[in-house]
Amino acid sequence: MDYNYSDLQKMLLDTAERFLRSHYTLEHRRALRKSPDGLDADAWAQFAELGWLALAIPEEQGGLDGEITDIAVLMTAFGANLVPDPIVSTAVTAPYLLSHADQPDSDLFEAIISGEARVALAHDEPGERYAYSAPRKTLLSKTGNGYTISGEKQLVIDAPSATHLIVTAQIEGSGDFALALVPATQKEVSAYSYNLIDSARASDVKFNKAEATAVLLTGPKASSVFGEAIDRTSIAYGAQAVGSMESALQICSAYIKERQQFGQPIGKFQALQHIMADMFVATHQARSALYQALAQVDAPERDRQRAVSLAKITIGEASQLVSKQGIQLHGGYGLTDEYEISHHYRRLTAIEKLYGDIDHHVRRIGAMTQTA
Amino acid sequence: MDLKFDASLADFRTMIRDAIKQDLPREIQERTRLFGGANSSDPHDSLAWMKILSKRGWTVPHWPEIYGGKNWSPLQLFIFQEELYKAYAPDTCWGGTHMVGPIIYTFGSEAQKEQFLPAIRNGDYYWAQGFSEPGSGSDLASLRTAAVRKGDKYIVNGQKIWTSCAYMSEWGFFLVRTDPEVKPQRGISFLLINMKSPGITIRRIPQINEEAELCEVFLDDVEVPAEQLVGEEGQGWSYAKFLLDHERTTSSFIYFNKRELDRAKMIATEETLDGVPLILHPNFQGRIARLEAEISALEGSVMRLLANEEFKYNETAVASILKVSGSKLQQALTELHVDLIGPKAIRHYASESVDRDPYDPWPDHIPGRTSQALILRASTIYGGSLQVQKNIIAKLAFGL
Ligand SMILES: Cc1cc2nc3c(=O)[nH]c(=O)nc-3n(C[C@H](O)[C@H](O)[C@H](O)COP(=O)(O)OP(=O)(O)OC[C@H]3O[C@@H](n4cnc5c(N)ncnc54)[C@H](O)[C@@H]3O)c2cc1C
Repeated sequence: MDYNYSDLQKMLLDTAERFLRSHYTLEHRRALRKSPDGLDADAWAQFAELGWLALAIPEEQGGLDGEITDIAVLMTAFGANLVPDPIVSTAVTAPYLLSHADQPDSDLFEAIISGEARVALAHDEPGERYAYSAPRKTLLSKTGNGYTISGEKQLVIDAPSATHLIVTAQIEGSGDFALALVPATQKEVSAYSYNLIDSARASDVKFNKAEATAVLLTGPKASSVFGEAIDRTSIAYGAQAVGSMESALQICSAYIKERQQFGQPIGKFQALQHIMADMFVATHQARSALYQALAQVDAPERDRQRAVSLAKITIGEASQLVSKQGIQLHGGYGLTDEYEISHHYRRLTAIEKLYGDIDHHVRRIGAMTQTA
Repeated sequence: MDLKFDASLADFRTMIRDAIKQDLPREIQERTRLFGGANSSDPHDSLAWMKILSKRGWTVPHWPEIYGGKNWSPLQLFIFQEELYKAYAPDTCWGGTHMVGPIIYTFGSEAQKEQFLPAIRNGDYYWAQGFSEPGSGSDLASLRTAAVRKGDKYIVNGQKIWTSCAYMSEWGFFLVRTDPEVKPQRGISFLLINMKSPGITIRRIPQINEEAELCEVFLDDVEVPAEQLVGEEGQGWSYAKFLLDHERTTSSFIYFNKRELDRAKMIATEETLDGVPLILHPNFQGRIARLEAEISALEGSVMRLLANEEFKYNETAVASILKVSGSKLQQALTELHVDLIGPKAIRHYASESVDRDPYDPWPDHIPGRTSQALILRASTIYGGSLQVQKNIIAKLAFGL
């Protein structure tokens, strides 16, 4: 066992920290909220330049063939700097799904790597909540020389800036589960877009006989690859959460040393020291939980799911403790948009709700315990 | 002992409920339902609603009768507030009706009573509370905004922060330092300042929920007529403390907490998981039941204080119990709303979008819930932070 970063990972993290910290200042991120699709095009070009968009893509497709641990390392830096850009969808979820497709599409990989294409996953349907194995109402239909897709998706994370959508559907006729690739810019795809509390973006998307340019996977293989992709996505977000918490620790410890009340730094009050200590414990445990899950990413389904759910629970609870107490330590300043700590709270709250909240993962573990 | 809620009050409750139902305009109710908080309604709605309530003489029922109060019993006042909250009526301008009003009728001059009490009663304009400063939050007594007497005026210089709704307030009540030489608490005075005075600059502070009700107030050689001093110079601190003693049960936010529990149950009925309403799922049932238990106990604690039980422990420490429990409940309930809504809770809704986008397909129990949960991180910060409350309890209940 070796829990230390490899030299390569150190370099990756170092570069990421340097670029992200200087680029994603608080003011810059606040300004980005007003951009139409949430994309920071300059930064995205840098992501391409630095090879981050190629990290999860296999070598034979021109990628860097990085391990999930490398991706997690990079994601901690994204979390630490509260980057709202659609990195997880395009650089983690999509590469996994696309590279497991029956016929991988080299052109699309190239476009992702160069920064031209961004891919979002459209799965949730109206009225649903983390229904990752329920049948879709969205239908994929065979037409003369191809496929069309019809249906409605809700809360498609990162959709506004996406050039392509990977859409989950049932195949008309056979009823098989399928993953289809749908170009986002066609008039048969209409989106209702909005900001999220952490300044990321999402859309509700309607497909009205939209063209699907490829059917990536179908049947049981589609289901299992989809489950694997969701768990990897959860891990990527979990790593972002760990990065965000670790940042919050720094910010808060510095703040309570600096802030004076009653003629002394508030960090001298034991009540606050104990809060800080609780945050320290939770953050450390969260990183440990992340590692536990990373270790099981390629394990058999049940072991993988259990480890990911356990990590999501630990990280979710730690996130809430750390960021809420972080605000408490800041007093009124914690409630403003002008101090970092409130942004960490919003980001961590959003992450907790993505791809299964604590309740969802508690139930997933509960179901496994029952059938053990 | 007689622990039952006085049954003869049922008629009173019906009377109040019917009146609110008749009077409360639909749009105001709707805005309050979506974005109204605990003592933090849309300030324009507060004033509009006060105009309506004042026709019944109900804006300040808790005041002494000679100043326009209703002479209702503590339990009647409780019912009145509870019904207002339940109906999603906005708050009155709290700074006026519950803070500066009582200070003025208790310590103010006849001229001040004449000038301000009717205006407060009628909701003529909004009041800002200018106590906190950038360097003086929990340690309020260290405040530095200085008021120097020059002839028949005070010249005020300094800065306030977190001054809710200052940008739309006509008047503010301020704690200022008039004597830098004496013990900090003794050198503070209570001044009424017109917010449109030359030398006042206001900046709205963008908040965690992307609203901006909090403000910074900069005072630069602001001239304040000396007759706007309330009571005596150097007594400002004791007046501010009087306020706290005067409003011991408010900090429980019991009306808000009860209403938000009902809302949680409503959301849990609307939201489903695998086709089953969340209210039937054990995880959520458990959370709702636990909160209901705590709210019920809190209501009991409020009643004990209202009914003047003779406590074994220092009464200020007992009042802190209400703040500790009530402030944590506000957070737990609004977080529960967020968790009930689940993934959809991460969408940002601004309060100006209350007049909803007609194309927005999302159900109407969602807008405002996350915004409220975010801003209510403040409930354990303002009005004496959670840590400060616990310090009070340790000291006053146990002499630690
Ligand atoms: C939404 C909101 C509305 C407000 N409205 C108004 C208003 O209208 N007018 C107004 O004047 N003010 C208002 N306030 C200000 C409020 O009263 C202050 O925020 C509060 O007094 C805390 O002060 P602070 O923010 O400076 O935090 P600080 O006092 O700096 O506290 C920071 C942290 O230190 C802790 N701490 C401080 N002292 C101790 C101690 N002795 N022991 C242990 N821990 C300690 C606190 O608990 C907190 O966790 C408002 C605040 C908010 C958030």
